[in-house]
Amino acid sequence: MSAAAIFEEGRLGRIAVIRLRPNEDLVSAVESACREHGLVHAVVRSAVGSLVDAVLEAGETALEVPGPGIEILTLAGEVRPDDAGGPRADLRGTIADGKARVYGGRFRRGENPICITLELVLQEWLPA
Amino acid sequence: MRTLVQPGAPLQPRRLLEWAAPATDLRATLSAGQDLLRGLVAALAERGVAHAGVQVLTAEIARLAYLTGAEDPSGERVATYGPPTRLEGPVTLLGANGILGPGPDGETLLHCHAVVVDAGGRLHGGHLPPGDCLLGAGGAVALVTPLREAVFAASYDSETNYPLFQPTRTAKQGISA
Repeated sequence: MSAAAIFEEGRLGRIAVIRLRPNEDLVSAVESACREHGLVHAVVRSAVGSLVDAVLEAGETALEVPGPGIEILTLAGEVRPDDAGGPRADLRGTIADGKARVYGGRFRRGENPICITLELVLQEWLPA
Repeated sequence: MRTLVQPGAPLQPRRLLEWAAPATDLRATLSAGQDLLRGLVAALAERGVAHAGVQVLTAEIARLAYLTGAEDPSGERVATYGPPTRLEGPVTLLGANGILGPGPDGETLLHCHAVVVDAGGRLHGGHLPPGDCLLGAGGAVALVTPLREAVFAASYDSETNYPLFQPTRTAKQGISA
């Protein structure tokens, strides 16, 4: 059995120092920030912040976690161009609610409003 | 999507982005007996690094306190931290992200959230206050991305009524911390 991986050569470039303000949707706002600054390929290098409420996708399940004050514990993922060439973010991670319960999954677009702040470091990926 | 009314008027722009220069990353190793946050801040200061994005890759923890969010009963902010949850080790760190920069008084802060698993296999996670994460045998490894030309620096944020890290332009040479 063989399965070929698809490779894309490249290197990491400029670093974007980003903050998202309250009530911005996590996924949409990362995409908007990238669009506003001409960034279409990037990887998450670090992120610290909180959400009002959270919706995470895990398989067919949507985990709805009520806040406020949900802590984003880890965030990973990337930004890639969509079919129209605009930035599209795929973000996954772990969160903790106010009762210190931990959840993980993929952040659903339009359902994860920032509570106090999101501090985010993206690094540009420069395809060769 | 529920939004919350913040104590202060909304500030513009809603998304802030500043470009930092490409950097050489640093892999940092801390040893048993050090505090994860204070140890990392001190070690990076010795290397001349006061501004960075941080991923903690591994850490074995002997003793830990973490904070999770809560509604602020005073109403002065939309959310605050509840009382600390304390864990006795061995606690295994699964992942942590941090932002290193000058706090409101100029001292270097590492704002760090982590997910860990305790000796019984239960997951935990939250905000790590400095001085409450004692490393055990095995220490810790962090991947550090130093920030130059643009950094995070804390200042009072009137919208949320908190001092918060804000993307901040610096001179080409970088700023002193």
